[in-house]
Amino acid sequence: MVGFAGATTNPMKISVPVHINATRLLPFLTLISQPIASEEIVVDFTRLRRVTPAGLVALSATVIRWLKAHHRVRFQGLNGCPIADYLRRMDLLKVCGFDSAEGFTRHDSRGRFVPVKLVDEHVPEMGHEIATCLAPGGDEWGHPKADLYDLVFYVMTEIANNIRQHSLGLGYASAQVTRAEGLVRVALADNGIGILGSFIHARQPWSKGMNDPQGILKALEPKVSCKGGEPNEGVGLTLVSALARLTKSWLMIVSGSGVVQILPQVTGTQAFQLPDGGIYPGTIIAMTCRQEAANGFSKLLHTAKDEAGLLRRGTIKARFEP
Amino acid sequence: MKLDISIATDFGTHLADGAAAAEYRMGRIDPYVDICGCIVLDFQGVRSANSSFVNALVSGLIEQHGELILKILVFKGCNPVIQVLIEAAVDLGLSKIDGRTIA
Repeated sequence: MVGFAGATTNPMKISVPVHINATRLLPFLTLISQPIASEEIVVDFTRLRRVTPAGLVALSATVIRWLKAHHRVRFQGLNGCPIADYLRRMDLLKVCGFDSAEGFTRHDSRGRFVPVKLVDEHVPEMGHEIATCLAPGGDEWGHPKADLYDLVFYVMTEIANNIRQHSLGLGYASAQVTRAEGLVRVALADNGIGILGSFIHARQPWSKGMNDPQGILKALEPKVSCKGGEPNEGVGLTLVSALARLTKSWLMIVSGSGVVQILPQVTGTQAFQLPDGGIYPGTIIAMTCRQEAANGFSKLLHTAKDEAGLLRRGTIKARFEP
Repeated sequence: MKLDISIATDFGTHLADGAAAAEYRMGRIDPYVDICGCIVLDFQGVRSANSSFVNALVSGLIEQHGELILKILVFKGCNPVIQVLIEAAVDLGLSKIDGRTIA
């Protein structure tokens, strides 16, 4: 059950912070992942001034998780929130089941943002829709934004496939372009069993004794999957992380208590725990890249596969015709 | 006998569903491998794809029928991204056969 602010007894109140951006996402995840001791949860947006797609999809997945657990959820403070219309434009309220009047006109969002959307069975269509929105015109081969289109399509569809195949939960996707900074932000979150949880669920023997950061790192290795012989052969997340490195992007993966990130200015991968003992029930993957970083995508993809050990040098035997 | 398959006709221009590709391979390609001298997978019109789809389609064929299938398999009309995906899928299929041989 969802609704707007009203009187109730002893609800649990979650006050959304001022900013939910790259540096403040993790404390926010700890905040919304805390155990729920009350039947009702009130989410207060009064202070919120800025939120990234990662924050939006994480909140969407979490609210749906609460509702599935039969909690009542109320949104409060939207009247005092200066970005309330933005939250509506990004379909946060709609996805969370709130039906509110919109005091604005929706304009074409192409080249600017992708509202929060459920990751359903139409993964190719979703990938195309999001890639087209972030890289308008890129659907046409040879267009200046074709490489960005390809990068976004690849990342979104591989992660969405993982959500559909392994999470046992519902997933949400969103994205944004910041024109001034020339950045593209994409994010997907689910409220499922997490990466390590999916390994354990599949009874992978090597998952015994692992913690969440180790589970995420394991998922980045090539040909590691929850299911033997699965369609994507366990290379989807491997290649997404390799592409993040090659494009000098920021990639963050949060699953359970684990966080793994790849930073543009740092070599290697950082793995650590969510702050203050937080445990996010599900997985969030967020990536931020410069728009021009996708240039030469086919070569980047080739290099990513080569570095992951997925190519046998000099032994290409496929026959191609124009 | 030659089998000509238009991927765009059967899947559209955006390919990302590995499970659908695996199912398609088993129903639409596998039964013809032993009776066709040439199988053309025509990617003309396909704009984008991911590893899930191409691996399920191509690696699966090699794993199922062995390296010899590459003698009758032709990939047509691929854009550079699709070509990279196919090359990697072929290598993946071959490495799986190698792994089986070693085991």
